[in-house]
Amino acid sequence: MTTLLGSSLPRPDALGKVTGDARYPGDLVRPGMLQLKVVFAGRPHARIVAIETSAALAYPGVVAVLTAGDVPYNAYGLIDADQPVLCGDVVRFEGDKVALVVAESQEIAAAAAKLVAITYENLPAVTDPRAALAPDAPLVHQHHGSNVLGYVPIRKGDTAHGLAEADIVLEGEFSTSWQEHAFLQPEAGIAFVDDQGRLVVETAGQWLHEDRRQIAMLLNLPVEQVVIRYATIGGAFGGREDLSIQHLAALAAWKLRQPVAIVWSREESMIGHHKRHPISVRCRWGATNEGKITAVEAEVIADGGAYASTSIEVTKVAALFATGCYEVPNISVDGYAVYTNNIPAGAFRGFGAPQAQFASEIMVTRLAHALGIDPVELRRRNIYREGSIEPMQEPLPPGVSALPVLERCVTEAQARFQQAARRSDDHAPGTTTFGTNGITSHLRRGIGIACGIKNIGYSFGFPEQATATVELHGTGTVEHAHVRVGAAEVGQGTHLALGMIAAETIGLPLDKIVMITDDSSEAPNAGSASASRLTLMAGRAVQDAAVAALLAWADEERPAQATVQFRPPATTPLDPITTAGRPNYAYGYAAQAVEVEVNTLTGQVQVLRVISVHDVGKAINRQQVEGQIEGCVAQALGYALMEHFQMRDGHILTPHFSTYLLPTALDMPTEIVPVVLELADPQGPYGARGVAEMPLVPLAPAIAAAIHDAVGVWLTEQPMTPERVLMALGAQQTKIERPG
Amino acid sequence: MQPFIHIDVANSEEVIPLLDARSRPLAGGTDMLPLMKEGIVAPERLINIKRAGDLRYIRADEDGLHIGALTTLDELDRHPDVRRDYTTLAQAAAEAASPQLRNMATLGGNLLQQARCWYYRGDFHCWLKGGELCHARDGRNEYHAIFDQSPCVAVYPSDPPAALMALEANLRIVGPQGARLVPVAEFLQPPSAERRTLHTLAPNELIVEVHVPKGPSGSVYLKAMDRATWAYALASVAVAANIRDGRAHNVRIVLGAVSNRPIRALAAEELVEGQLITPELARRAGETALAAARALEHNHYKLPLTRNLVAQALRDIMAG
Repeated sequence: MTTLLGSSLPRPDALGKVTGDARYPGDLVRPGMLQLKVVFAGRPHARIVAIETSAALAYPGVVAVLTAGDVPYNAYGLIDADQPVLCGDVVRFEGDKVALVVAESQEIAAAAAKLVAITYENLPAVTDPRAALAPDAPLVHQHHGSNVLGYVPIRKGDTAHGLAEADIVLEGEFSTSWQEHAFLQPEAGIAFVDDQGRLVVETAGQWLHEDRRQIAMLLNLPVEQVVIRYATIGGAFGGREDLSIQHLAALAAWKLRQPVAIVWSREESMIGHHKRHPISVRCRWGATNEGKITAVEAEVIADGGAYASTSIEVTKVAALFATGCYEVPNISVDGYAVYTNNIPAGAFRGFGAPQAQFASEIMVTRLAHALGIDPVELRRRNIYREGSIEPMQEPLPPGVSALPVLERCVTEAQARFQQAARRSDDHAPGTTTFGTNGITSHLRRGIGIACGIKNIGYSFGFPEQATATVELHGTGTVEHAHVRVGAAEVGQGTHLALGMIAAETIGLPLDKIVMITDDSSEAPNAGSASASRLTLMAGRAVQDAAVAALLAWADEERPAQATVQFRPPATTPLDPITTAGRPNYAYGYAAQAVEVEVNTLTGQVQVLRVISVHDVGKAINRQQVEGQIEGCVAQALGYALMEHFQMRDGHILTPHFSTYLLPTALDMPTEIVPVVLELADPQGPYGARGVAEMPLVPLAPAIAAAIHDAVGVWLTEQPMTPERVLMALGAQQTKIERPG
Repeated sequence: MQPFIHIDVANSEEVIPLLDARSRPLAGGTDMLPLMKEGIVAPERLINIKRAGDLRYIRADEDGLHIGALTTLDELDRHPDVRRDYTTLAQAAAEAASPQLRNMATLGGNLLQQARCWYYRGDFHCWLKGGELCHARDGRNEYHAIFDQSPCVAVYPSDPPAALMALEANLRIVGPQGARLVPVAEFLQPPSAERRTLHTLAPNELIVEVHVPKGPSGSVYLKAMDRATWAYALASVAVAANIRDGRAHNVRIVLGAVSNRPIRALAAEELVEGQLITPELARRAGETALAAARALEHNHYKLPLTRNLVAQALRDIMAG
């Protein structure tokens, strides 16, 4: 191996992004393009009695008002096509789309949108997932027959037996809130019909070929007639997996045979795209006095909102990780993905793993406290090792590094937290401090640790592949190479990483590699930029294609070309009877230690330091890996402490960044220490596995443990806002005053 | 946004004749523009007073502090006299919003900021917007009032006015009939059936100056937020006092973000007046200040939070 892999080469897209040269989808809008404006339902559940478009159509400058009847096949979705492009009979959440105004300018479109007169008959809304499960609950989808979108059982061993064996059984109840992706670039795109009669959509997304599949389907077009191109993408985090505006632009451009543009405002983005699932977990954990976890029972309920999106897949992941990264002999988990009249929930960095492990990691620490065992030691005694049996009754895929990751985290925490304590002449964690005037200080410090696991790549039998083409050009020797791989650069750095893998494999300098990545007609399908999978999946496809192209080159082929589809070991769908199988082909393992300061007067929690340890197999570009970790910690911190997307009776109350609070620089820890282990994954290119989601998994439970260490209370609802911290402190105070 | 006519004026004299129920003065615009974009207000005319140079000044003299209404929050926070002698005001200005907003937002406009209640700002025809019902009263109300003063439970959102109340500041307001001087404490009133605003400025009037009497020896502003900075207050407290011989005199305690207006905690002031404020007395003052408060369904935390802030502010005042 040369020195290329692992080096911190600068990102080719960085300069353009910081100077303003980069062209995001909103920058593609050109004079003369027709502008689109969506008419949203603005109500959680209603029957559409009538849609009157004549006043809007009569408005000067309006070209068309599209409604349900204009959509050739009016249903779409990533997994189940249960979402209408434009609603014709029923609206099921506030952000449902009813009409699409096409006009000569944004102003005209906005004014005319207000003239679309829709008569509704309001229907009873169900906005609480538990209430939605009641037999007499109003149905979100009448024909579906119930609000259970998906039921996910997981069974291993015999939990009655396991709980009977336990010396101690603890119960817990946890809940998390929606999270907004809050990418920098709200949804935007253009669409037109090119001179070959192809429908071209230029936008941002996470999977060229899936966007193409869905758009072709709803327009009844062959996929070859639809071309998706990605402009510079301003963040995604799962929030661009579902279609938002891409299909609307496609519909209008195809119908009218004219170029169209759509640019959403932040508020439209907030109500227009899906969120992270709120998930509630009720669980019982049993363990012996020796610190062996014997059984876990859990009920996991995910609010899927009005449409399927990826809810069932997210719920499977959450159910699978209800026991975290611990080998538990007896498991019984019931997961439910539930339809409600809330905003749809779908993919978001972590994909169900953070919610589940907020519960499981806190339960493990609580068990340790109850047993009088150090929380790290309890983890050691139960953590996944090579050959451990998963909840689905089969051994983990090889490359299990949970324990070395935990041990490294402990070592780093011991060194750094003690150093830090000495440096600032700190007090020990969890002790009371005294201010300068002799008054007991209201600032308490604590430390916490948590582990995390997240699958890399698609789970539970979802078809998994990545395809890449490598062409080698030159006369005597290979002079340059074209790499075709349809992998979305969402800011994570995949284009550079894939280029580095190609350069390393072919033996060319990086500047001799031409990456062709952003056009569905030019680059083969590499699958989505999600599930932390591109480095492993697309990386292997590029590596294997490069090797094959070199063989062709050796056979005198000029230019030498090879296309390779990489398929990892197959996973199996969830069998609802046996629940046995192989859910995943690879995992990422993480552990984090945090130090926090809790203000007992205001309930505010400041995270002081974070140590984030990850086994990435092989860091293709070290700086990018560390950047992923640091950025993800920021997103995880917001999720843990403040990002509080709120709905009431189906209405979004936080559509602005003045009420949906994202962390600022001042909320960030003074120190984030990314620690990168390189324990090679058997599948990955040069041993690499993904890292994108893993830092999001352990942070919230680590912070919860640190808060507990500091002030002695457990926070079980996320986000752990000052309000909730204060109420927990108050409840503790009441308990002390009135013992028993 | 509805179309409107934009009129520039060069000084405050020109403004008054242009003001009426269908016109609004435009200063920093940090609240007016979002309100217009969301269709909550729709003035036919915007009178741009940003260029009225005679309204932008900070003057400290024997009489106290004179602040032109167009003074930005950033200028307030940076002014050395304000920082030294009217600390609570400088702190309140510094804690309000982001630097970008503080560079634009004026003190006059800040006094007039409308409720941040998510029902008021959202797509609800709530009582404060002229409707029948306060949606927050039985809806999500974690950021709402714990002192019930009107059918509406939105809280008054601005930071500096609570500090101004603790400093017993007055506003100079000009209208067609001339000028009037009104204490901030009287200017800010709960809304009524006839007047659905959090202030008492008539449509044809303009705030031109804030006058703060000679400052007390010490003052402080404490604000609790959902993140480290740049958020509206969950609760805040402004305290001003003269500390002589280790005792607190002329103590004024004002609670912010707990009601339709900042609340003077008179009973708590009385409790600590002339006293050496021990941590225990500070704690009792916090309890007294909140004795009449009643939480809504989702804002119980505000009771201990505001109590704690009062006690901490009094301890800070004593510590100097």
